[in-house]
Amino acid sequence: MSLIHNPPKKTCSPLSFQDMIFRLSEFWAQKYCVVALPYDVEVGAGTMCPETFLRVLGPEPWRVAYVQPSRRPADGRYGENPNRLLKHTQMQVILKPPPTNIQDLYLESLGAIGIDLREHDIRFEEDNWESPTLGAWGIGWQVMLDGLEITQFTYFQQSGGVDLEPISVELTYGLERIAAFLQNVEDVYQVLWNATTTYGDMRRTEELEFSVYDFEAADAENCRMVLDLHEAEARRLLGEYPRSNRSRQTKYNELITSAIESITLSKKRFPLRKVYDLTLKCSHLFNILDARGAISVTERVALIARVRKLACEVAAIYLDRLQSTGVSA
Amino acid sequence: MTTLREPTLPFLLEVGCEEIPARFLLDAEKSLGERVHVALTETRLLPSTRTGFGMGANTLRALPLRTFSTPRRLAIYVPKLLAQQPDKVEEILGPPVKVAFDAEGKYTRAAESFAQKNSAALEDLARTTTPKGEYLSLRKTIQGRPAREVLASVLPQVILGLSFPKSMYWTGKSAPRFVRPIRWVLALLGEGTSAATVDFEIVGVTSGNFTFGHRVKTARPLPINSFKSYTKKLAQAYVEIDKIKRRERVIVDAQALLEEPSLKLVQDEWLTDWVVNSTEWPRPVLGTFDERFLHLPREILITVMRDHQRYFAVEEHQGSLTPHFVAVLNVDSDPDGIIRRGHQRVVTARFRDAEFFWNADQRVPLRDRRPLLDKVTYQVKLGSYGDKIRRMLALAGHLGEVIQLSVEQRAQALRAVELCKCDLTTQMVQEFTELQGVVGGLYAKVQGEPEEVAAAIYDHYLPMGTEGESPRSLVGQVVSLADKLDTVVGGFVAGYEPTGSRDPFALRRAGNGIIKLLLEYTISIRLDSQLYNAFEAVQGSPPTEQQNATLLAIEKFMRERLTYYLENVAGLRYDTVRAAMGAASLGFDPLQVMMRARAVEKLRASQDFMSLSQSAKRIRNILRKSAKLEDYEGGKLDLARLEEGPERAVYEAYARVAEQAERRRGSGDYDGALEIIASLRIAVDTFFEKVLVMAEDPVVRMNRLQLLFTLDRLFSKDADLSEIEEPGASSDVGAST
Repeated sequence: MSLIHNPPKKTCSPLSFQDMIFRLSEFWAQKYCVVALPYDVEVGAGTMCPETFLRVLGPEPWRVAYVQPSRRPADGRYGENPNRLLKHTQMQVILKPPPTNIQDLYLESLGAIGIDLREHDIRFEEDNWESPTLGAWGIGWQVMLDGLEITQFTYFQQSGGVDLEPISVELTYGLERIAAFLQNVEDVYQVLWNATTTYGDMRRTEELEFSVYDFEAADAENCRMVLDLHEAEARRLLGEYPRSNRSRQTKYNELITSAIESITLSKKRFPLRKVYDLTLKCSHLFNILDARGAISVTERVALIARVRKLACEVAAIYLDRLQSTGVSA
Repeated sequence: MTTLREPTLPFLLEVGCEEIPARFLLDAEKSLGERVHVALTETRLLPSTRTGFGMGANTLRALPLRTFSTPRRLAIYVPKLLAQQPDKVEEILGPPVKVAFDAEGKYTRAAESFAQKNSAALEDLARTTTPKGEYLSLRKTIQGRPAREVLASVLPQVILGLSFPKSMYWTGKSAPRFVRPIRWVLALLGEGTSAATVDFEIVGVTSGNFTFGHRVKTARPLPINSFKSYTKKLAQAYVEIDKIKRRERVIVDAQALLEEPSLKLVQDEWLTDWVVNSTEWPRPVLGTFDERFLHLPREILITVMRDHQRYFAVEEHQGSLTPHFVAVLNVDSDPDGIIRRGHQRVVTARFRDAEFFWNADQRVPLRDRRPLLDKVTYQVKLGSYGDKIRRMLALAGHLGEVIQLSVEQRAQALRAVELCKCDLTTQMVQEFTELQGVVGGLYAKVQGEPEEVAAAIYDHYLPMGTEGESPRSLVGQVVSLADKLDTVVGGFVAGYEPTGSRDPFALRRAGNGIIKLLLEYTISIRLDSQLYNAFEAVQGSPPTEQQNATLLAIEKFMRERLTYYLENVAGLRYDTVRAAMGAASLGFDPLQVMMRARAVEKLRASQDFMSLSQSAKRIRNILRKSAKLEDYEGGKLDLARLEEGPERAVYEAYARVAEQAERRRGSGDYDGALEIIASLRIAVDTFFEKVLVMAEDPVVRMNRLQLLFTLDRLFSKDADLSEIEEPGASSDVGAST
C-alpha cells in the first residue's frame, strides 16, 4: 500500500472518501463535538444509534459526530446501480441545544471538505423527517447542492414518543453522494476511498452478497422467529425494570432493608442498552422481511407498532432513570 | 381626530427566518399584513383616512401598507402611522345606582370602593343608563402612548400569532412555535437620523435596525435607516424582496435562454410559484441532457424534472420535448457553468434510474403482477389492493349494466380494473408515486393490452375532485367510478368519515370526482343503488338494520357533494339547487337532479313560474300549520265534495296538467314539465282569492287541505317549488356565478 497523506487544504485534487471523513470529523471536533465510533449493531440510519436516539432525550447538553454505515435492505441493487446502495455511509452530527448560527456552522463544514459555496447554489428545501419505528420525527430541510441532495437537516421534535426539551439538531451527510460530487464521478463504485483504492474495491462484493440474502436467500420463517426471540428477550428485560408500582416495591422490600436504595441500584444496573440493541435487531429484521416481500397486509402495521412500542419504552425508562438516579446513556 | 395633521412615522418590520417552505410563503405574507393591520387598528395607530377599513384581502390591498417575502424573511412596510396614540376616553361601569346610594342618598361603601379602586374622587362619579338599569360610572381619559412603546408591546404577539400548516419548536417546547427558527428581527420606526428601533424580544432574538443579505454572498449585518435603504441594500446584497420582480426575472430570463425561437418552456404555474417563493435572487440556467432519454415517455421525463428537480421542461412549438431543462438558481451567476453541470449530472442520474426501472419493470408484465396485490395493503380495515380490485370488479359489473356498456366495453372495463392497480408493485411507481395510473397505462400499452384498456388504466385516478380532466372514454369513466365508489364507501365503513377540516382519506375529493364524472358525461345512474352495491362489496353482505344509518350518512355526504358542485361549479342559485334536491322522486340520480335544477333555473325568468312558486310556499305553510306533511299521505281527496267554481276548476286544471307533465317528465323534458305546471298559476291564484281553505265545517276543511296536499305533491315532484325564493326576498348567500 502506498503512503496516505492528507493533501493540503488549498488543492485542486478532490478529497478521497476517507479524507472527507477525516475533515468532517476534525471540523466537528473543533466545534466541541465528541467524535464517537460507528455503532456495532445494524441500523437503518445514524439516528438509530444510542448516541442519537437516547442522548437527544432529557435536558443535558450534548454534541456528537460519528460516521455510521446504515443498512436499508430494500435499497439493495446487487452492486449494480451507480447511485443506490444497500449500505450507505452517513456522517451524523447532533447538537443539543442547537446554536443560533447552526446553519452557518453547517455551511462552514462544507467549506472544510472543499466546497466553495461562492461557486455553487446551496438551498434548504422543506423536508420533514419521520421514523415510525422509533416514534421520532422532526422538521427541517434537505440541503441541495446544485440540485443534489447532500444532507438532511432536522430539528428533532420527538424521539421515542417523547417531546424533546431542549430540541436537538441532527445533520446527516450522505457521504457517498458528496464524494461522487467532489470527485466528479458518475458511479459511486468509482469513488476513490483513498489514493489507490476505490469504493467498489471496498464494498461491491458486500453489496452483492447482502442483496442476495435480503432479496432471495433470507428464510422468512427463521427471520420472523429470530425477530420474535429478540422481542421476547427485550420484553423479558423490560419486565425487570423496577416500576414505582406497589407489588414490585413489596417484592424488593422483602429482599433488602432499604427498598428505595435497592430500587435505585437496580435502576442503575438495568441493562437498558441491551434492550435497545434488541429493538434495533427487531427493526433490522423487519426491514429484511420487508425487502424479502414476506410481510402480509396486517402484519406490517402490527410489526412497526411492536418495534415502536419497544423504542418508546426504552425512551421512557431512559428518562425515568435519568430523573431518579442521574444515570444517562 | 381633532387635529388636522397629526405627526406620522414610517414603520418597517422584517422577520428573518431560516428557510420558510415555499408552499407556505404567500399565505404567511398575507397573514402578516392582516395581523399588523388589525394590531394597528386596535391600538389606534393608523391615521384616520377617507375610507373605512375592511378586513378582506381586497380592502387590504387598498391600504397604504406593503408586504414582502422571500424564503428567509417576511416583511411589512407601513409608510404612515401615528407617532403617538390619540387619547382615549373610556367609561367604566360601577355598581348599580340602587346599591351605590343609601336611603339618605349618600354614597355607600360599594360606591366608595369603586371610586377608590379607580383612584377617582367621589365627585368624579357619574351615572349611566344601560339596558340593565342605571349604574354608577366613571369617565377616564387614557393617555395615548408613543407608537414605539405600543408597537414594542404588541409586535411579539403579532408575529408569533401567524399560523402555519406546520410549525416547530427550535429551543424547546417551553418556547413558542413558528414555521422555522426566527434569527433576526428588523423593527424600525421613523427614518433617516430620527429612525429608531422598536425594542422587543422574541424567542431569544432582540429586535434591531439591521437585516441580512443573501446567505452566501454577504455575511455581515446591513444597517438600515429607511425603507429606501432597506430595498437598496438588499438589492446590493442579492435579495429581491418583491416577488413580482422575481417572477418577471424568472419568466423573462428563462425565455431569453432559449435562443432558438422554436423552443419554449413547458408552462407551469405551480412550478413558477415554487421557484419564485424559494429564491431570493432567482437566476435561470439552461441545461441539457442526453438525447437518448427522450425515448422515455414525456410524463416520466416531466415528473423527474418538475416534481423531483424543480426544473422547467423545454419543448418545441409543436409540443415534443427537447433534451433541455431550465433550472432556477438562487445565485447571481454561474460563469464557469459549474452549477449547470451539477444539475445536468443529477438529472442524468435520475433519468438513468427511470430508464432502469422502465426496463426492469417490463420483465414482469402487469398481468403477472395481479397476485402481488394481495400483499399490498390498501387500508388495514379494508384489506389489500387485491381485495379492492375484487370489489371494484363487482362494482364495474353493476355499472356496466346500468350504463348499458356494449359487451366489448364491459370486457375492457373489467380488464382495466384487473390491471389498474398493478403498477403499484413496479419500481417506477415506487420511485415516482405521483405517476400511479399513468405508469400502468403506459406499461399496458407497450405490453400489448388493447388501446382502450391502456387508456382506462392511465386515466382512472381522474378526475381529482372538481378540478382538472376526466377519463377520456366511457370505459375509463366506469373504472374511475368503481374505484371512487369503493373509496368513499370503504372510507365511511372504516370510520374515516370527513368531519370539519379533517378528511384523512380524501373522501371529499373522491366524492367530488364521482359527481363531476356523472354530470360532465351525462351518466344517469341511481347513485343510491350503487352506494348500496359498494357497501355490500365492502363487507361481503347486505347492510343490516343498524348499518343502514351508515349507508344513509354516505348518501347524505354524496348529496352534499352534488350541492357543492351545482352551486360552485355549475353556478346555479342555491335555492334552485335546494328545489331540485328536494324533488320527491324515487332514488338519487345526480344527473336528473342537475337537469331539474337547470330547468328550474331557466323557468325563473317566467312570471307564472315565480308566482306559482310563491303559492307553493304558501300551500306548504298552510299544510304544515295544520298537521305534519306525512299525515296527509293517508288521506284521500273526496272529489264529490269539491265545490263548483274555483275549487273544482283548480282540481280539473291540476288533473290535466299532472297528466301532461308526467308525459314530458317521462321523456326527460323537465323544462316542459315545469312549464306546464307553471300554467296552473291562474287557477291556483283564483282558488286562493275565492275559496277559504280553513272552512268552518271540519269535513270541508279537511278535504280542502287534502286538495292542497295533492297540489303540493305535484309542485314538489320535479323540484320542490316551495324552496324558490322571490327575487330580492333575501340576500342570495351561497349563490355564485
